Amino acid sequence: MRHGGLLRFAGWAVIGLFLAVSAPARADGLVQADVLYNGYYQSVLGDCSGCHTKAGGALLAGGDPIETPFGTIVPPNITPDVETGIGRWSLEDFRGAMHRGIGRGGKRLYPAMPYPYYALMPQRDVDALWTWLQTVPPVSNAVEANLLPFPFNEREAMAGWNEINFRPGPFQRDPDRSDQWNRGAYLVRGPGHCAACHSPKNVTGGDVADRYLQGALLQGWFAPEITGDAWRGLGGWSEEEIVAYLATGTSGRAVASGPMREVIEASTSKMKNDDLRAIATYLKSLAGSDGARPTPVAADNPRMVAGGAVYRDNCAACHGTDGDGARNLIPALAGSAAVQQEMTDTLARVVIEGVQGASSDKAPTAPAMPALGWRLSDAEVADVLTYIRNSWGNAAAEVEARSVEDVRAKLK
Amino acid sequence: MLGSASFAALSLKPQAHGATVSGALPWKAFSADPPEPVPEGQRLFFTEAEAELLSAIADRIVPADELSVSASEAGCVTFIDAQLMGSYGSASRLYMNGPFEKGLATQGYQGSQTPAERYRAGLAAIAAHVEAQTPGKAFAAWSADEQDALLKELEADKVTLPDGVDGQAFFELMLKNVMEGFFADPVYGGNRDMAGWKMVGFPGARYDYRPFVGQHNQPYPFDPMSIMGNADWVRKGG
Ligand code: HEC
Ligand code: HEC
Ligand code: HEC
Repeated sequence: MRHGGLLRFAGWAVIGLFLAVSAPARADGLVQADVLYNGYYQSVLGDCSGCHTKAGGALLAGGDPIETPFGTIVPPNITPDVETGIGRWSLEDFRGAMHRGIGRGGKRLYPAMPYPYYALMPQRDVDALWTWLQTVPPVSNAVEANLLPFPFNEREAMAGWNEINFRPGPFQRDPDRSDQWNRGAYLVRGPGHCAACHSPKNVTGGDVADRYLQGALLQGWFAPEITGDAWRGLGGWSEEEIVAYLATGTSGRAVASGPMREVIEASTSKMKNDDLRAIATYLKSLAGSDGARPTPVAADNPRMVAGGAVYRDNCAACHGTDGDGARNLIPALAGSAAVQQEMTDTLARVVIEGVQGASSDKAPTAPAMPALGWRLSDAEVADVLTYIRNSWGNAAAEVEARSVEDVRAKLK
Repeated sequence: MLGSASFAALSLKPQAHGATVSGALPWKAFSADPPEPVPEGQRLFFTEAEAELLSAIADRIVPADELSVSASEAGCVTFIDAQLMGSYGSASRLYMNGPFEKGLATQGYQGSQTPAERYRAGLAAIAAHVEAQTPGKAFAAWSADEQDALLKELEADKVTLPDGVDGQAFFELMLKNVMEGFFADPVYGGNRDMAGWKMVGFPGARYDYRPFVGQHNQPYPFDPMSIMGNADWVRKGG
């Protein structure tokens, strides 16, 4: 899941080309332009290129492998190429893939393709997306999607999976809520497929419904809780801050890295401001885990003392003695939900290998944090994390050296 | 552009190593170029006898006293040993072709020997000179006053060492290297437990003093810190 910066404008270039070629029918052309723009925008909302385009590769011609708990699966070529893409597909086939997870010839798709969320998209938008997909330059690139080991390589098993986990669309409006809230709910649950990363998974890889958007571990990154919960979630963020984060990768509080950085670069940074605002309204309305806030680890605990020294000598120059960061450049650690998350894999990873933030048109700098794993032992990383999780009003469980050791071993 | 095509015309190799960077700055996970810590007591270059002689000399340059441990206790010989095995010892970054004239005082050593060769020859010459003075009694066994007397004579260029070794220049080399070992980051083998930094009150490899900028005429409260950290980072009990 990587995206080249050039892709950003590729969708538009394609639309331009199409219009140039199909110039004659003027009145139709305008209608057609609306449909195409809508189709392109659906691809932004669904982040299709985030998965189906390889870093530096041709638009939608097949993506980088996705690691799932069940094995590796590669997003296939969905350009209109006849031999290696979806050139032979009909609109019906495409609707089947998007709404039911059943592709051409009755092939059952794995939910690594987020059809359980796309199922909420109205037919009109799916059809527009299909029209736009026809304008993407066909690229010959054969992709073997299914690299899953037995028994997961059995596509038919997905029928059972759907039985347990799949709720078909369409999206049900809540008449008691505002249009803005409903729009946000639709985007988050539908094309935005936020729960694919942010909801904990059951043993079959389906979303755990009663822990909706309450945080989950994926590929060595932790996607934190993004409900309105005041402690672990976004309760402390203003709507403006959520919008800024999704539009630029930084809210002043947090700076996005890892998979979220890619989602922002390929998808949310290109969403309309009204849509981002709707998402923020919806997320903040969710009650979330409402977890009891633990008592912070005492400041004179030996781990806190050692961790405080590590912090002072390695982190304070950037993140501030009071953990307040530097607005829009270096995230604040004080009050950060990400820092106080239940799972600490992302935190350990960030300190060990460093991290670079998102780069978007609105904020191109992409601030980076240096790797510090070469000078900090597992115990020192554990202690500095314990310190940042329990200082300046933060409170969260201590971090064990053993869990840092596990993260380090996986990274190498 | 990083690097510049306009300078290419002046350089000997007309190649511009430029790269165009736009958008996000380049970044790689794990990128760091840390020095490899020299293990305590490592000896790769000196023989036993050379190490003993250099330790005795170094311990007159920085003796153990109320201010600090001695140079050898602080690892200065380990430091010099590691340096002589590396690019410093082989002068790999210096112009090492002739002419080899005796340079002006401001130019320093202009001879053909690398630092490693100068130590090998210089320590041998001092050992031979000592043997001629007190047969069977090595420099390390001399009294501190006797040791100081010889070192002062070397420094004042009053001793003629065998094999044409320039005693004054070699003394200056040792003096410089011992000080480097005493004050360099401990990661390079010397300045053990930051003895040198504690002595002069240098806070070490820190880079953020903002909380202290306004606190005039007050001592800086923290122990110095090496590139590889300090004892404060280690959990005490618990
Ligand atoms: C999270 C990653 C991800 C995203 C986002 C994603 N896909 Fe997919 N897609 C996949 C994977 C993985 C497969 C392969 C599934 C399989 O083989 O069972 C796939 C398969 C498909 C297929 C079937 C292709 C074939 O040859 O069988 C189509 C069509 C498709 N995706 C379209 C889309 C569209 C349109 C979007 C955007 C709205 C999109 N995908 C977004 C991961 C993704
Ligand atoms: C591909 C997985 C993935 C998808 C899809 C995804 N996220 Fe994220 N998200 C993450 C990860 C991982 C993080 C943590 C980023 C970090 O540590 O810098 C994150 C962080 C966030 C944060 C910051 C939380 C905090 O406390 O710092 C917000 C807000 C957010 N995501 C919103 C969304 C929304 C809204 C969507 C859907 C439109 C979405 N995410 C879709 C993986 C994902
Ligand atoms: C040179 C400046 C710098 C130093 C030193 C530094 N950081 Fe960072 N840190 C950053 C930047 C910039 C980011 C944002 C990058 C991103 O999230 O993609 C960041 C991100 C983080 C995050 C992720 C926050 C989030 O919202 O996802 C954590 C946790 C973190 N740093 C902890 C530390 C700790 C602990 C240390 C010391 C051991 C440290 N940092 C040292 C600059 C620095």
